[in-house]
Amino acid sequence: MTAWAEPFSYDYAPYTGRPNIEWPNGARVAFWVAPNIEFYEYAPPPSPTREVWYRPEPDILNYSMRDYGNRVGFHRMADVMARHGVRGSVSLNVAVCDHFPAIIERCCELEWELFSHGVYNTRYLYDMTEDQQRQIIRDSRETILRASGQDLDGWLSPAISNLETTQDLLAEEGVKYTLDLFHDDQPMPVKTRSENRLVSVPYMMECNDVPVLNFKNISPRNYLSIITSHFDRLYAEGEESGTVMCLPLHPYLIGQPHRLHILDEALKYITGHDKVWLATGREIAAHFEANYYDSFQSWMEGAA
Amino acid sequence: MSLISDDYFDYPNRGPQMDQGHYGIRYLRDLPKFEWQGGASLMVWVTVHLEHFPMDMPRGPVKPIGAMERPAPSVWDYSSRDYGNRVGIYRLMEVLDANGIRPTAAMNSVLATRYPRLMADVLKRGWEVAAAGTDMGHLHHSGLSEAEEKALVAEAFGTLRDVSGQPVTGWHSPSHSQSAVTPDLVAEAGGQYICDWINDDMPYAFHTRAGDLTQMPLSYDLSDHKILAAQHMPIEDYEYQLGAAFDMMLAESRERGGRILSLSLSPWVIGQPGRVDALNRLLTRFMSADGVATATGAEICRQWTALELEA
Repeated sequence: MTAWAEPFSYDYAPYTGRPNIEWPNGARVAFWVAPNIEFYEYAPPPSPTREVWYRPEPDILNYSMRDYGNRVGFHRMADVMARHGVRGSVSLNVAVCDHFPAIIERCCELEWELFSHGVYNTRYLYDMTEDQQRQIIRDSRETILRASGQDLDGWLSPAISNLETTQDLLAEEGVKYTLDLFHDDQPMPVKTRSENRLVSVPYMMECNDVPVLNFKNISPRNYLSIITSHFDRLYAEGEESGTVMCLPLHPYLIGQPHRLHILDEALKYITGHDKVWLATGREIAAHFEANYYDSFQSWMEGAA
Repeated sequence: MSLISDDYFDYPNRGPQMDQGHYGIRYLRDLPKFEWQGGASLMVWVTVHLEHFPMDMPRGPVKPIGAMERPAPSVWDYSSRDYGNRVGIYRLMEVLDANGIRPTAAMNSVLATRYPRLMADVLKRGWEVAAAGTDMGHLHHSGLSEAEEKALVAEAFGTLRDVSGQPVTGWHSPSHSQSAVTPDLVAEAGGQYICDWINDDMPYAFHTRAGDLTQMPLSYDLSDHKILAAQHMPIEDYEYQLGAAFDMMLAESRERGGRILSLSLSPWVIGQPGRVDALNRLLTRFMSADGVATATGAEICRQWTALELEA
């Protein structure tokens, strides 16, 4: 395999002098919540690239920690979001459709969007051929359609395992937007080898409960202000040109008793602002594609 | 030639069940509404880990929180863990006594004979003794042969039953680490409940080759091990998180039926002079709220089983 020194998925685009984005109804921020509904396997096939579990298998501590999200955390989280009128855009390991159909039913009742986060979170794209990656994308499309009647429009690579061709394949397979790039606070055109358009939608690791609570060991006491400070700045900047705020969450973390109130307070705070578009990933990508994809593209060509 | 073989895409377990055979799928919100005996909605279950960390303990393959960290021989690590069994535990006893709480003592069995005075003070208070392996240098994991592991389980239950005179029906795998057969061996040794899996806030039936155990919800993310020793958070963050968990679980228990709030405590961690008062404040608040009761793990397990809520 040749070395891969940069993603080649986008051109440099400074956060100044860009075409202005206007969201529906004069909103400054397109706010969306992305619950990651995941299935980590008890005994996954080994990956040539990455240790799947942290302890010798069976790693029942880490397996069961994640299973909590599906048994307990999901419904709690859904209750809080419904109370605030906020829909989810689910980053879904599509095997959840087969293991936990009741979860998918509730997502559909709540009119949440389903997009793919691979088949299982213990199956990475690493080491796959193009055909094998395509197989995962097509499985996702078929499974989501069967379980919910929805089209597969969005994509977040399982465990963010990207290969050089992943974004090309997504575009070729008709996926509309990707979350794999963390390079911007606004949607962006993605460069691929396909004629089809692919939009990058911001997915914010800075506010994601896994890095915050699991990797960085930040206290829940500080998590709410991380979210609200992030929002405040994007809301202010959005007066000039529309921004995107994403809250990526995991029911196994935010759905725990000592953390659920953070979601409640964060949504109360954000929905308390009048110039917020409560959107889904699909809606943000479609609005950008229809109104700004071309102007951003030609601006970038001029700016380069 | 791909590094990923074709059968990688077969997914033999992909269907309406888990991918291991230990339990069925149950959503907590589907539990019927019930009350604990005496009418309480929230049951506070305190577990005190009594742990012995040998100075020459192996440093892998599973490293428990509290394992020797510094170059061997680490008297620093050893003595600051042993502190819990000398000093911290007596502070905890005072706080628990004052709040009318009899916890489950999840004990490494070597402590039963190593510190007889400690054991006597545990028994005198009517605490439940549960088996938690032999010591922290002998964790349960898949690197052990079944015969080796069976001997550890037998030694832990045997010693603790002999010394305590209690039936000793609870089991905790130290550091929540199991091999694939730990639950089978625990059931074969007469265990009735385990508290190692952290996928629920309520008990559920856990299948083994020797019949069902009850899996009890011992907290991990809310343990002092995790928050104070592994994540290095100040005590204020512990107090905040436990307080938030209590508020949420009490509200949920009133709305949806009986719940358990688990406190997982380690004397070498929470028994420090600058921390134990926070625990006292929390427990005083918890136990003075309406609809809150407390019991040992074995008692809660018996109440749960008698409810026959699982179809």
